[in-house]
Amino acid sequence: MRITLVVNGRDYLLDVEPRRVLADVLREDCHLTGTHLGCELGVCGACTVLLDGEAVRSCLLLAVQCDGRPIRTVEGLASPDGRPHPLQEAFSAEHALQCGFCTPGWLMLAAGALESDPALADDPERLAALLGSNLCRCTGYTPIYRAVLRAAGRPPAEPPA
Amino acid sequence: MSFAYTRREDERLLTGQGRFVADIDVPGCLSAVFVRSPVAHGRLRSVDCSPAASVPGVVGAWSAVHLTGLPACAQTAADLPDLPPIPPVLLASLSTREAVAGREWPTLATDRVRYPGEAIAVVVAEDRYQAEDGAAAVGVVIDPLPAAVTTAAALDGTVTLFEGMSNVAFEFEAGHPIDEEVWRSAAVVVEARYRQQVLLPSPMECRAFLAVPRGDALTVWCSHQMPHRLRRELAEVLGWPPGRIRVIVPDSGGAFGSKSAIFPEYVVTATLAVALGRPVRWIEDRMESLLAATRGRGQDQRVRLAAGADGRLLAYELAIDADVGAYPHLGAALPTQTARMATGPYLTPRVHATVRSVLTNTMMTYPYRGAGRPEAASALERTMDELARRLGLDPAELRRRNFIPPERFPYDTPTGRRYDSGNYAAALDLALETLGYERWRRERDRRRADPAALPLGIGLACYVERSGGEPGGLHEFGGVEACPDGTVVARCGSAAGGQSHETTFSSLVADTLGLDPARVRLIEGDTGEVPEGVGSFASRSAQIAGAALQRAARTLIDQARQRAAALWELPVHKVSWSRGTLRAESDPPAAADLGELVKETGPLRVDDRFEGAMAFPFGTHAAVVEVDVDLGTVRVLRLVAVDDCGVAINPVAVHGQALGSAVQGIGQALYEGVPFDDAGVPVLPNGLLDYLLPTIAEVPPVDIAATTTPTPVTPLGAKGAGESGCIGTPPAIVNAVADALRLADPGLLQMPLTPDVVWRAARASENARRAAAAREPGRAENAQRSGHGAHGTSGGADRSRHGADRTGRGR
Repeated sequence: MRITLVVNGRDYLLDVEPRRVLADVLREDCHLTGTHLGCELGVCGACTVLLDGEAVRSCLLLAVQCDGRPIRTVEGLASPDGRPHPLQEAFSAEHALQCGFCTPGWLMLAAGALESDPALADDPERLAALLGSNLCRCTGYTPIYRAVLRAAGRPPAEPPA
Repeated sequence: MSFAYTRREDERLLTGQGRFVADIDVPGCLSAVFVRSPVAHGRLRSVDCSPAASVPGVVGAWSAVHLTGLPACAQTAADLPDLPPIPPVLLASLSTREAVAGREWPTLATDRVRYPGEAIAVVVAEDRYQAEDGAAAVGVVIDPLPAAVTTAAALDGTVTLFEGMSNVAFEFEAGHPIDEEVWRSAAVVVEARYRQQVLLPSPMECRAFLAVPRGDALTVWCSHQMPHRLRRELAEVLGWPPGRIRVIVPDSGGAFGSKSAIFPEYVVTATLAVALGRPVRWIEDRMESLLAATRGRGQDQRVRLAAGADGRLLAYELAIDADVGAYPHLGAALPTQTARMATGPYLTPRVHATVRSVLTNTMMTYPYRGAGRPEAASALERTMDELARRLGLDPAELRRRNFIPPERFPYDTPTGRRYDSGNYAAALDLALETLGYERWRRERDRRRADPAALPLGIGLACYVERSGGEPGGLHEFGGVEACPDGTVVARCGSAAGGQSHETTFSSLVADTLGLDPARVRLIEGDTGEVPEGVGSFASRSAQIAGAALQRAARTLIDQARQRAAALWELPVHKVSWSRGTLRAESDPPAAADLGELVKETGPLRVDDRFEGAMAFPFGTHAAVVEVDVDLGTVRVLRLVAVDDCGVAINPVAVHGQALGSAVQGIGQALYEGVPFDDAGVPVLPNGLLDYLLPTIAEVPPVDIAATTTPTPVTPLGAKGAGESGCIGTPPAIVNAVADALRLADPGLLQMPLTPDVVWRAARASENARRAAAAREPGRAENAQRSGHGAHGTSGGADRSRHGADRTGRGR
């Protein structure tokens, strides 16, 4: 099928098999390999990207479902002038990544949520619930929670007990 | 740009510019997909690959036809030469030739399958989708055989994995047998059985292997912990000199021990790349990983611990039946690590540990974060808490009375380890202080008097572990080269999987040389760039590779001074080094930057092989939990992890790894386990929805703290770090739950402490208390305490394997 994926503001004119999932097409056809596959069943969240501004698991969507709709991936997070996104700065400052494989998924999950709902950063329970959607095996999560608060301009704090 | 990333690794990983194996785009690369055994044990009757050949995009499909004379498979491109069996892991004595002899692990199954997920055939296609289509078309006929998936089942003799051979592949003992008189005359003897359940290491990136042939050479990209070893092993199976193979470890999405071996999929993929003359990659998916990647732990343990009335330990006995999986290649001798560490941090005069490594119809056990030490600490520390309960002693006080004191180091244990240094009481004291131990004890006692309150428990675990590796693997390559532009290249034989080596080692070399870290660049994980190396495992990189780089940097300073002295025709002692500049107290004074010296005198490069020694990090973990006995849920209210890894080169990285490790420890204690069906196949149909890795919702308030006792075995003073949480945290949490339930029988609590396990233990404990109260009103507590007698034995070691009704998490 001929489709156009609009990724990070750029059009990709593609001819893809209908069965191909978005993550594979982003990685192999668009050569945007920042989106990683951790489980391919929608559980781990490593492949999270923004579709119409909302976080989605790109392993659970077919690329053809996304024809013409705006997609944002980790490659589109920094400013066009190269200035890092506040989340990128905060993740580094809080040591919220070690191996970095799951990191793009966290960044896009948090970016989508903070953009659509900035008050999320003032509600520890809701923020923790949001961050409960992804898996990380290195950091122990607390640094990720702190980084999201920091990126939102709040003082870093521990997750709610 | 004004922003400075904390770690050198961060910018690329945060912007999507990281380069993991699956990200590497090689034109014309084929994808390999494996056909795997759906059964745990069976006779392989036939494999029909021909339907796969007609699937669009499929280049070829192969089984082990050349090895066994099975019906031929499609071979559209080339014959698959006879595949050699997988070489055993002899390094660090993880296996032995004797254990393997007669029990070869075929690269593709020949006439028998011995674990679910064993590779039977491979399909290679232009892309992954087509390869999976092809794999689905391959016909496999297997006559199932009864399977043994527990050590008990494998030991009862009804299932034999290798005809005419024992299911016990390896036996070992540490220390000497203890005279029965010791047990008879002791004031208290605690006996118990524990199961260290099978765990799946589960790095976020599964295994990944890309082989690119060019001419008579092969370049391999692999997410791997030991690139030089992988090169040697690939050379062995291909029958090539190692020099024709280059192994590169790009960014690696975690390993936790699971990525240091050579696996059947690697052998097949490399062989096919060479045979087809085309790049081939195998990118494992998660469902495959849950079935066919190595597992950790897997021990059934029996213990006896004897003490005097004053709490002084007299003797400890640990008998291990280790579930090592279907082939003894990877970790048949890994449980020796547990046996050797059985002594723990105590002065116990008599310690005896025995190991039987039992073959079962499961994928193989291999090092997983902690690798034998968690199993030792868990058995001993759970028993210590029970001993304290029997003696009516504060568990902290019992431990304090028995610690090896700082002045006794180096200390030779009865199980054959020489501990380098330690101050165990300091770590315990800091843990108790950080926790607020006395305050929590008061709260626990208050709740015991209040029938409406949820019971609360406190658990301690004092551990000592080993870092650096085993003899024969205690060395590492470290090199430092000065470049004409004034920069310095450091090379080391390790390979990072998220441990911040680029940041840490560059800073270490820069600090040693007195340079701005921006002038130093690290190269590792590439056999084409680093002449030799061992790798990243056994908490060895900081301790051994760090010491290697520090020495190489110091040698570089010496050589630079000698060069400058020769250039200036001065004695060496007249030439000083300061922050990358050489100066001479001569008339007139001479000075040269390191880069200028290289330009003037030629390349300056130090390649060094550092021989280290084992070190023994230690610490105390403490947990406070609240248990809902009606629901069986456990809520961890507080976790304190005090670790001593000697000199921390990068305290931020150590802190991060300690936290991540503790959360993996929480996973073992409460959530992670592999249930099996009656036919011996793991029941994980929904992947990571069934195998419950902790999420942020399961992370309690955690305090990470440290004491610092340098190791005397290297000038750097660093011991290993990063595995502590998997060692100290699980027994601390389980002890806390046992304390909350006032459990008389430690065997009732086997990990993971799912609601089902906890609910049953709470009921049993409550029933025992009621029965005791009915017998002797008013003396319920005392009666319950002695209910099992001084020599009582706990049962239920296998319960966790089948009883995991994982209906909910602890919050």
